[in-house]
Amino acid sequence: MTAITNSQSGNFGNYDAHQSDSAAAQLRADKWMISGTILMGTAILGLFGLPLFLYGLRLQINAAKAGLSMRPTIVTLIGYLVIIDSALNSMGWTLDLFANHTLVNRVLTTGWGAMFDGGYFWHYNELWLGGAGAPGEKAWEIALIPVLFCARLAAAIGLLQMKRWGQQWLIVTCWMGVIVWTGYNTNMTIFADIRYSGVTFPVWGWWLYDIWYITPFLSLPYLHTVNREIFSE
Amino acid sequence: MNNKSVSEQDRRRKKAMIVFQVLIYSWIFATFLVQLYLKSISNW
Repeated sequence: MTAITNSQSGNFGNYDAHQSDSAAAQLRADKWMISGTILMGTAILGLFGLPLFLYGLRLQINAAKAGLSMRPTIVTLIGYLVIIDSALNSMGWTLDLFANHTLVNRVLTTGWGAMFDGGYFWHYNELWLGGAGAPGEKAWEIALIPVLFCARLAAAIGLLQMKRWGQQWLIVTCWMGVIVWTGYNTNMTIFADIRYSGVTFPVWGWWLYDIWYITPFLSLPYLHTVNREIFSE
Repeated sequence: MNNKSVSEQDRRRKKAMIVFQVLIYSWIFATFLVQLYLKSISNW
């Protein structure tokens, strides 16, 4: 009887309640996952962010098991992963570009250079534009922060909101990631003497640390084959 | 356009994408191997 009354007054009773409960559960889970992602995006606080993110993910999975309409888990994982990827790259490179004379950057960036990538140690702060002096590195930074990582960050937020433009732009920026990986790795290989000479962990160290950045374009097959009707206009 | 031709087109697209991705991963892996080779002949 209640449902009929609601229907006559323009509502859909249980359906509306289910929708609002689902939205509330999704928001609750997202608050935890956003908090965790922000912490992980800073790199240094990453270990503190991971448990927050996992707790939010558990809330989302449990709500879905309870019958609420939640965002697909794979979309959640891809969206937040891409946000973390964009944040880590943008943060590190922006600091190298604009804050290369700060004490924290001279310690952390050259420390990274001494251990894994000599491009961040060799002639550091000696070009007319400060920071890493490796051939090509500054061009990658200037090109990729605004063109790729900002666009990818916006696309990932759109994807998490289940917007179709989010899915489409994530496809575009993940393909850009393919160009980045082939170009950047080729650059590192050509200038390997600069990048690896005298560092503590040559080759292996860089690959162990950086291979995880390849993951955004591992999501391309999913993004191309997912039923796009699940994303709204 | 019937369903069969759409699915056939979709199947070919997926196949082309997989082939392209394998090529890219091969290139990236090749750069890793080249770097390992350079390491073996260098005094890093």
